[in-house]
Amino acid sequence: MKATVVEGVEVGTKLPALAVRFTRERLVRYAGAATDFNPIHYSEHFARRVGLPGVIAHGMLTMGTALRVVTNWVGDPGRVTSYFVRFTRPVVVPDDEDGVEVQFSASVAAVEGSLVTVSIEAMCDGQKVLGAARAEVDLGMRVPPLDHEG
Amino acid sequence: MAITEGHAGRRYPPCDPYQVSAAKITEFATALGDDNSRYRGDSPIAPPTFAAVISAPAWDQLFGDPELELSLDRVVHADQRYTFLRPLRAGDVVIATLVVDKVRIRAGSELVSATVDLTDRDTEPICTAQATFLHAREVPA
Repeated sequence: MKATVVEGVEVGTKLPALAVRFTRERLVRYAGAATDFNPIHYSEHFARRVGLPGVIAHGMLTMGTALRVVTNWVGDPGRVTSYFVRFTRPVVVPDDEDGVEVQFSASVAAVEGSLVTVSIEAMCDGQKVLGAARAEVDLGMRVPPLDHEG
Repeated sequence: MAITEGHAGRRYPPCDPYQVSAAKITEFATALGDDNSRYRGDSPIAPPTFAAVISAPAWDQLFGDPELELSLDRVVHADQRYTFLRPLRAGDVVIATLVVDKVRIRAGSELVSATVDLTDRDTEPICTAQATFLHAREVPA
């Protein structure tokens, strides 16, 4: 039996997916905005010296971008009450215009009253880059739009 | 001496107050490629992971603690959790305080879990940021 207090939202409901390109330009932009200047996110020689295959995206950039799937759906990011991710694999970002694409998808994992738990997947080159990613949102009694561009 | 399981419970002094600005919120949202209208205008709220920006100086206290002998070059972010009582907003003055929750010693590495509490100036809680970092021990040359 499924608890479906929020109309139309039930366990298994899929959220609109999102594909985002991570380029070096985006890493530089995020580094500045987040004030995270670890050189593994911009310096090839430094990244290799510490044993990485190349420059990698900030885990927090992947985490923050993944949540867009949820906040695009909910509309109001202020409804997010908790968010967890495990960083399972680095996202290597090549030094070219295309960068690398990360695909984000999500579905409703639990509904309890107006609290909805969303399970998020992030894939890069066919492999999961986040593990056990879950966001909890309080939808109140408002039904989110089924499709939200952005 | 290096970090040990006995460092669980270690608490650092509160960081300097951080004033959340509308411009910084918009800059951060743009860096995430997020055009949500709530992150823009005169009185925006911050993207949930903006909490990382405010938590950073608290983590710097931990990684810079000479007694623990941690090196950022050998640190990998393993997991991250945020719990929100309310969203961060432009105009908020936020104070971050870090406490070490748990240290697990493994062969060649340490797993360090810590919590950063983000409160307003009246110590009303806004957000809790819990993270685990894997720290590789230095291999003697």
